[in-house]
Amino acid sequence: MATPTQNQPTTTTPAPVYNPKSESTTVKRIKSTIFHIVALGLVAMVLYPALWMISAAFKPNSEIGGANNALWSNNFSFDNFATAMEGIGGVSTLTFFTNSLILAVGAVVGTVLSASISAYAFARINFPGRGLFFGMMIATLLLPFHVVIIPQYIVFQQLGLVDTYVPLLIGKFLAADAFFVFLMVQFMRGLPAELDEAARIDGAGHVRIFGSIMLPLMKPALISTSIFSFIWSWNDFLGPLLYLNTPDKYPLPLALRLFVDQTQSSDYGAMIAMSVLALLPVLVFFLVFQRYIVEGVSTQGLKG
Amino acid sequence: MFDRRKFLTTVALGTASAAFLSACGQSSTAGQTGSAENPVTITYTWWGNDDRAERTRKAIALFESKNPDIKVNGNFSDFAGYWQKRATEAAGGGLPDVMQWDLSYLRDYGQRNQLLDLGTVKINTDAFDKSLLPSGQIRGKTYGIPTSTNAFAVYYDPAKLASLGIAEPDGTWNYKEFNTFLAEVGAKGNGTLFGGTDYTGIWWNFNIWLRQNNIQAFTEDGKLGFSKDDLKKWWNLTADLRGTGAIVGEDKATQLLPKSPFGSNVTATEVTWDNFMAGYLADSGAKELKLVPVPSDDPDNLGLFLKPSMLMVASAKTKYKDAAARFIDFMVNDPEVGQIFKTSRGVPASKTQRDGTTFEGTDKLVVDYEKSIEKYLKDAPEPPIVGFGTLESTFKRVTQDLNYGKLTVDGAVDAWFKEAEDLIKQNA
Amino acid sequence: MTQSPTLSRRTASAPTPPRKSRRRGADARAGYTFLLPWLLGFIALTVGPMISSLYLSFTNYNLFDAPKWIGFDNYVSLFQDERFLQSVGVTMQYVVFGTPLKLAAALAIAMLLNSKRKGQGFYRSSFYAPSLIGASVSIAIVWKAMFGDSGPVDQGLSFFGINLGGWVGNPNMTMGMMILLTVWQFGAPMVIFLAGLKQIPADLYEAASMDGAGPVRKFMNITWPMLSPVIFFNLLMETIHAFQIFASAYIISNGEGGPAGSTLFYTLYLYLRGFSDFRMGYASAMAWLLVIVVGIITLIFFKTSKSWVHYSGDAK
Repeated sequence: MATPTQNQPTTTTPAPVYNPKSESTTVKRIKSTIFHIVALGLVAMVLYPALWMISAAFKPNSEIGGANNALWSNNFSFDNFATAMEGIGGVSTLTFFTNSLILAVGAVVGTVLSASISAYAFARINFPGRGLFFGMMIATLLLPFHVVIIPQYIVFQQLGLVDTYVPLLIGKFLAADAFFVFLMVQFMRGLPAELDEAARIDGAGHVRIFGSIMLPLMKPALISTSIFSFIWSWNDFLGPLLYLNTPDKYPLPLALRLFVDQTQSSDYGAMIAMSVLALLPVLVFFLVFQRYIVEGVSTQGLKG
Repeated sequence: MFDRRKFLTTVALGTASAAFLSACGQSSTAGQTGSAENPVTITYTWWGNDDRAERTRKAIALFESKNPDIKVNGNFSDFAGYWQKRATEAAGGGLPDVMQWDLSYLRDYGQRNQLLDLGTVKINTDAFDKSLLPSGQIRGKTYGIPTSTNAFAVYYDPAKLASLGIAEPDGTWNYKEFNTFLAEVGAKGNGTLFGGTDYTGIWWNFNIWLRQNNIQAFTEDGKLGFSKDDLKKWWNLTADLRGTGAIVGEDKATQLLPKSPFGSNVTATEVTWDNFMAGYLADSGAKELKLVPVPSDDPDNLGLFLKPSMLMVASAKTKYKDAAARFIDFMVNDPEVGQIFKTSRGVPASKTQRDGTTFEGTDKLVVDYEKSIEKYLKDAPEPPIVGFGTLESTFKRVTQDLNYGKLTVDGAVDAWFKEAEDLIKQNA
Repeated sequence: MTQSPTLSRRTASAPTPPRKSRRRGADARAGYTFLLPWLLGFIALTVGPMISSLYLSFTNYNLFDAPKWIGFDNYVSLFQDERFLQSVGVTMQYVVFGTPLKLAAALAIAMLLNSKRKGQGFYRSSFYAPSLIGASVSIAIVWKAMFGDSGPVDQGLSFFGINLGGWVGNPNMTMGMMILLTVWQFGAPMVIFLAGLKQIPADLYEAASMDGAGPVRKFMNITWPMLSPVIFFNLLMETIHAFQIFASAYIISNGEGGPAGSTLFYTLYLYLRGFSDFRMGYASAMAWLLVIVVGIITLIFFKTSKSWVHYSGDAK
């Protein structure tokens, strides 16, 4: 095995040796520049659709789709947004936002509550059947939802709960999203068991341990869960499509579709402005909580 | 230092109750009837393009001004998506209070008790042609009131024909002549203007052709009255035109949605109902459009009939029967509504409305057209079988596949027949 | 497990069962109490419906009339149904071409970013952003507009002399459009790959360099095996995810799966049959077929994984 040499004439070893430290700074700088050029180029390509969307939202209709495909226009205005804010079918856009908010907050609350206690059971309580149930929970991650939506719909329909928010929220309160349970279990496994033990010695039961010890320590997992749960609910289309029929109950994705149906084929501007508005909270969340989001995703794939 | 658990619990309870309340509490206070201070709100939905939306909104505003105790929330969609939505609404949550309806779906929803028996509410039908009302009735119950009548026609844009140096058609043509005409437009149109769309893709056109050949579309007992060969003959009528300039390409047509190719000034003709006139004029911006009868190989039998272009129906579960009835009565009888819509829904079925409307220009053309074909008009066909709506859209879809080259005529015939037989078996 | 002396002291007066089983009893009760919501949900929203839909798949239920048993009729009809077969073809195309492309992009860019250079956070976030919004209705609308006639994509390509026209109305191009949409969302698997890459000890690479290995050898002998559990995880999740595409397909095709059925994804067709035609028996049969197919694919993945996935601790 050759020993790495520091900028010294390599007279002793006859075979050429790759010496990472002998790279000159210029080479390094060139490589760095190339890297950034390539990376920035990719970023530009990837972000182009988003940029196009925002640019189109401000353009007058005549310039979208043909006349002016550049990102800049001399005629930027808020007109499209004004149209979009008027809402559709007698229902204001504010109502749609509120509906989305109610559903999303409900989803967050339900998920955080139910997933955390379920995760606690899986990770910290030794009870008969735990392994089996855990396996079944993981299996639901691999289950296509198609096989449950029809009977679920029938049940809700027979109970007269179609066109209410109940079908959309009840699953969240029952930890139906295995992804979050799994995420929290993984996280909890990283917390030392000694904490539980110490608490138990002091006479704490599971409820106390969960509430006073686990939960506070799980902040990152709770935050990740809240964020994803909010965003997924915000973007959910199939659920509302199945269950909501009255436009004044529509959340944004359904409202968007209604908008698309009823907007003049040439009023792309208003359509796209509405799309931007609908995405705004997600983008805001993303910008503010980037770190949590990305880290939440990263821990997914690592072995647990 | 607040107690996280307590905080979460309160938030949870708060949100849950808010969610449940908002879900349940929608139908709160307003009872059966309202007043000017406390109006009831009914929902109304229709299909159509922007032009019809404009007119409908005007009509709604007029109604609200005459009836300050009722508010109408209007919504619309295109024809295809309209029925999907109604299906989901019927399953749960409820259909809108008042709806624009099509004959194709009357039996489905009527027989399933989804529609209000309008005989139980006050709607004035004295001014209607007695022969027209039965089309909205099934087994003695009135599920729909026709708003207007429709007849099939061939539209053309005289200005476009003139620019290509083609003579205007006089409407006495057989299918060969019609095809030649389309081909001529396509050839001279040079890729910017096409003859028309594939007219064999419209069910009602097929229905007319069957009648021209003295074949009934459906038998008394709800089965198909025509054979695969008949359908094959029909779809082969435009076999030579597909892929040429006589018929606009499917991909182009799809790009133009929801506008039609004729409305987008891409074709010189269109074969469809005469109530499309207003919509076409608005979409295309043309100065004038003209109507002539459809082609027929038998000059004495044009197969034409007057169909109720659309009906007004109400949901069986509406909480506001009275308000719904008043709105329907208004829409079908009020002369001012006639003035708003002119012939864009068709020729008004109620004499009161017809007399109160001045038909000028192209609207007059539509009225005149229906008068001109009067001597050829025969009885309207039977209300279609249950589930017919799906067959109609399958017909269109299969023709599209045909035009995309994904199916041969034989394949198309097989595909459609399979759906039809499947449906008939289902509803047996 | 250490016993807690306090418990036994407190309950010394009452006749006490042995500590272990009491503790176990308490744990079992606590466990099930904590798990109650999930159990309820699992039975009521997963197991129950699964059994129910299996039953329905053998009936002709249409929501309005009582279900009538028709045996395997639905399943037989499915295989004679042109549109069903088309939906299978469309979905398979999407899964078979879209998923590997997406993962390849994710891996490639993760490897690019796996360095100590500045701007990591910015690049990572930028590439990740599309994953958050990609499946939304908003983006579907934008995508449809971008790929329309004379839209930016068409104009961009025309600039290079490729005149394809709008992709949206062209049955041959719509799949390309959908695959691009999913590949655009490579950020999520990329982030996972990055995390996995960072776990590979750098000295492995250095050692390889000193042995004279070039980038290809390094990739095949170090990166791939070390990353294989993560690759497997991503492959599995993305594949299953791909089968469930709905919102984008629905919006782009106007709820119809066109043009000419080129965007008639399995989920969309199931939705149309089940919630538009209300042929719920038929749609249930479709759902179960999908479960079986996905189950088989998952099994195959797991079985074959033994041959190429190396877990840490395995001899290399």
